[in-house]
Amino acid sequence: MRLDFVKIFVDSTAVLFRELIGPPVDVPSISMKPSPVAGREVMAIIGLAGEAHGRVIFDMDLFTAVQLAGHMLGEPSPGMTPLVRSSIAELASMAIGRAISKINDGGTRLSMSPPTVITGANLVSYDQCFETLVAPIATAYGEVRVNITIQDLD
Amino acid sequence: MLDVNKEASVVKSPLTCLIVDDSAFMRFHLRRMMDSFDNVIASEAANGNEALREYGRLRPDIVLMDIVMPGMEGVETVKRICSEDPKARVIMISSVSYQEKVAEAMSAGAKWFIPKPVTTEELRRAIQNVLSPTTDN
Repeated sequence: MRLDFVKIFVDSTAVLFRELIGPPVDVPSISMKPSPVAGREVMAIIGLAGEAHGRVIFDMDLFTAVQLAGHMLGEPSPGMTPLVRSSIAELASMAIGRAISKINDGGTRLSMSPPTVITGANLVSYDQCFETLVAPIATAYGEVRVNITIQDLD
Repeated sequence: MLDVNKEASVVKSPLTCLIVDDSAFMRFHLRRMMDSFDNVIASEAANGNEALREYGRLRPDIVLMDIVMPGMEGVETVKRICSEDPKARVIMISSVSYQEKVAEAMSAGAKWFIPKPVTTEELRRAIQNVLSPTTDN
């Protein structure tokens, strides 16, 4: 696990959330979990490839997703509309894009896939054998967990 | 109203803009920003191929272009637009903004680069600079 990259992902996400969503944004602790990751009702998944590989999953309750999207859109949303899904995807993309940029500027080539958003009950993400670092980020609209798996290719 | 359309203020024609982003949220967000400016007509494309088609059809004054998109990504799309129209004025707006990627986008023909999240003021300044490149920032 590239813990140095994990810190960049978590810090970039927290800073972006503060900018876009506003305070309070807090990261109380980071913990290691064995795969699979049990998610909540909304998951935004971004793949990572290059000199390291892995993926980042943002997971949150439906209520939190709808409220976060409403804040970004500047208007309340009635539920999980296509625009809400897109807002959550873009939130994840901006956070990881910012981290990817720092990592590349630091000399490691890493690219990201466009985000995929999945909604439903009892979502679970299976990985081959990776452990996952989980950073819960507390926002004014509820908790967003950032589940990060990243390893060097060798 | 913000007057981003220095050229239009002379020729009295609207500024035309093509927004290219696979994210419906970003298209919504950028269109709302563009709508807050004076005398602007905005169109949208959700991917690189659609952008090429719309650019050829509309020949907009400016293009707002994302980088990370499924299929043909933004830098390749800019390259193709600029090879067809070297005078194309493309502003990149992307969450991926490391030095090498910015340089790649600029050498493909982009005239400006804004890291996401973009603010209305950043967008206004970028458009003013791209329309009047000799103006100080």
